[in-house]
Amino acid sequence: MTEIVKVQGLQKKFGKFQALSDVTFSVDAGEVVGFIGPNGAGKSTTIRTLLGIIKRDAGNVEIFGKDVWKDSLEIHKRISYVPGDVSLWGSLTGGEIIDLFLKLHGGGDKQKRDYLIKRFELDPKKKAKGYSKGNRQKVGLIAALSVDSDLYIFDEPTSGLDPLMEAIFQEEVEKIKKSGKAILLSSHILSEVERLADKVVIIRQGEIVETGTLDELRHLARSTVTLATEGDVTEMATVNGVFDFKQKDNQATFSADNQYLNDILMEASKLGVKKFESVPPTLEDLFMRHYEG
Amino acid sequence: MKEKFARWDILFLQYLKRDWKKIIVWVLGLGLFSAAYVPAFEEIAKGKGLLGMYETLQNPAMISMVGPTPIETATDYTLGAMYSHEMLLFCGLFAMIIAVLHVIGHTRKEEDLGLTELVRSFQVGRQANALATIIETIFINVLLALFIGGVMLSFGVDTITPEGSFLFGASVGMAGVIGAGIALVMAQIMSTSSGATGSALGIIGLLYIVRAGTDVSNVDLSMINPLGWTYLTYPFTENNWVLLIFALIFSIIVVIIAFALEGARDMGAGYLPQREGRERAKKSLLSVHGLFIKINKGVIIGWLIAFVIMGAAYGSIYGDMQTFLESNEMMKQMFMHSGVSIEESFTSTIMMVMIGLVSILPIAIVNKLFSEESRLHLSQLYATKVTRSQFYWTSIGLAIIAGLVGILLAAGALGGTAITAMGDSSTMNTFGFLAAGYNFLPSVLFFTGLAALALGWAPKLGKVVYVYLGYSFVLNYFGGILDLPEWFSKTAIQSWIPQMPMEDFDVPIFITITVISIAFMVIGYLGYSRRDMIEGA
Repeated sequence: MTEIVKVQGLQKKFGKFQALSDVTFSVDAGEVVGFIGPNGAGKSTTIRTLLGIIKRDAGNVEIFGKDVWKDSLEIHKRISYVPGDVSLWGSLTGGEIIDLFLKLHGGGDKQKRDYLIKRFELDPKKKAKGYSKGNRQKVGLIAALSVDSDLYIFDEPTSGLDPLMEAIFQEEVEKIKKSGKAILLSSHILSEVERLADKVVIIRQGEIVETGTLDELRHLARSTVTLATEGDVTEMATVNGVFDFKQKDNQATFSADNQYLNDILMEASKLGVKKFESVPPTLEDLFMRHYEG
Repeated sequence: MKEKFARWDILFLQYLKRDWKKIIVWVLGLGLFSAAYVPAFEEIAKGKGLLGMYETLQNPAMISMVGPTPIETATDYTLGAMYSHEMLLFCGLFAMIIAVLHVIGHTRKEEDLGLTELVRSFQVGRQANALATIIETIFINVLLALFIGGVMLSFGVDTITPEGSFLFGASVGMAGVIGAGIALVMAQIMSTSSGATGSALGIIGLLYIVRAGTDVSNVDLSMINPLGWTYLTYPFTENNWVLLIFALIFSIIVVIIAFALEGARDMGAGYLPQREGRERAKKSLLSVHGLFIKINKGVIIGWLIAFVIMGAAYGSIYGDMQTFLESNEMMKQMFMHSGVSIEESFTSTIMMVMIGLVSILPIAIVNKLFSEESRLHLSQLYATKVTRSQFYWTSIGLAIIAGLVGILLAAGALGGTAITAMGDSSTMNTFGFLAAGYNFLPSVLFFTGLAALALGWAPKLGKVVYVYLGYSFVLNYFGGILDLPEWFSKTAIQSWIPQMPMEDFDVPIFITITVISIAFMVIGYLGYSRRDMIEGA
């Protein structure tokens, strides 16, 4: 697999404030990488560095094997970007702005443009000052999705979109993923990342704290188990790998460490299992685990 | 009634609290602008100044700009008469414009921003906001009227009578109230704040132009123009208070109409449907320079028109220049030099001043690139193959072209009108005027270069370039009167350039300043291509 984006030990300071202290991750072709973290963690700063809008203080950052600062133009020919807050010229219409973006990107597929305008239900004749947040976002998305790029960078692309439009965006992203493009998706909407991403990168206070596929990350975390037994379920509370034990009559709910799953099952079977349900951790659980102390 | 206006008083007090700084600047700024020139006019009136000014202002071109005077013979022309003649129309216009911006800012703009929605979810009447805004604006204009009257009176000039002073103030304040009424109506009719502002200012502009025509042809016709009910009160001469009553009735009717319109519409809606724009971009938009021309278009056209008007205004006084300048000691010092004809020496000084004003446009265009940057308009464009060098040099190029065209229009309009006004006695030709204008091109480039330097290395300082321009402007304008030491007047860049046609063209200076300016632009580029783009952060 080709490595499209490579970030190693990226650092950036704004004055005295250390915005990024150690950012390392990569994005391969045909891969969607979910980039998550709370506000102010450094997601947008990382993305702006990738785009060559700001200059890094240290580290090695490459796209298509080229340096993002020195060769930014070569890189920009083959990428598309949508900022989290698309800001537009009030006096131009949505249609005009999309055309302008396509032209400045170079290339761009007119049919795709019209198709996307229809799909996203955008009124291209309206002046941008009359657009709501969601509609401005659509302009950015249509412009980015209408061009053929090798890397798509989305910085919270669906903020302000309604759930229907979110779903359309996700379908379109799946399409470009299938055609072998690389996608970096920074998002707060964890269900969206969960659905689309092959790999997740979690950033906190300018540092990458977790990287891996969802499965890998899930493995590190605990599943939520609901268990009902014939014998006294209270005994389960003391088994290795059981946490947050809660009991109601003969039914218990607890979180189980995945590496002790076997032990837990063995103990449970001694009591006679009547019901066993295990729910893998959601991305939200993973996320919370990192941010709640 | 309660349903409509409940709790307007709370909103009103809230506005006073929110706006108190703005109100102070408004009343002090516009008030002093309107009232505090009395000593300057006393200077002008010295000697035969009043006679000269009277003659000059009888010129139809001048009447169309500043309005008429009821005085019929030059000997009756007093300082007070001259003051209201020259100042009242413009002060009234400013009062109107500020009131328009204020009223729309508190009504349609807040609706656009979604603030009204929030406010209306409380126990607040449907039209309480409009009532609070209009009462606040009336309140401010009453303060303004009293302040102007008081300040004028404080100079203790004989012909500036108490009655006239307060009539002058009241006329300016009433102009503000009329503006507020027009704005409130447009805020109902249009469906966006920019549409409302544009149309309200457009109406005022139209009223001004119509009165320019009727003032020259038949002043009685100006009496059916709402704008006429302000400056035709003739303070210090006829003291015609009756017109203010017309204006008051007009304002009340307009405000009632506005409330009726507002009561019959939904929040956020207007009466005129929004104009549909283009579905596809025109070819001319699809490039960096196409885009930059489009986003700077309003500013460029606005200033270019201003340059033409300015040139024509100064040009129109060439006809009776002799009377105008010799009548007054201060004017003599500012504009006359021995050894050259009076027209030539006036041209030399006025050209320096005008080209100083022309420099505003290139600075504005260069600064625009940074304001686009900080408004995040360019975020998505940075990620395309468009280079920073394209952004930078397109802006600089556009600025330089705007400067070149600006000089052409200002100097051309001055020359054209001046030559027509002088008729057969003309001592200068069009080429002479254009040469005198382009002689100052290096100073325009210098300001452009300074703005470019700021854009590249310290973009937040872009506005400081205006401060230096203002400083140079004042130094150039009053340099002749103040008799400043050489080194001090040389701190204004224009002072290095010889003043044509009075002095001869200086090739080395022209080239040196041009080269320095270009160097600034290149150094600015080095900074711009290297620095972090500022994105909200």
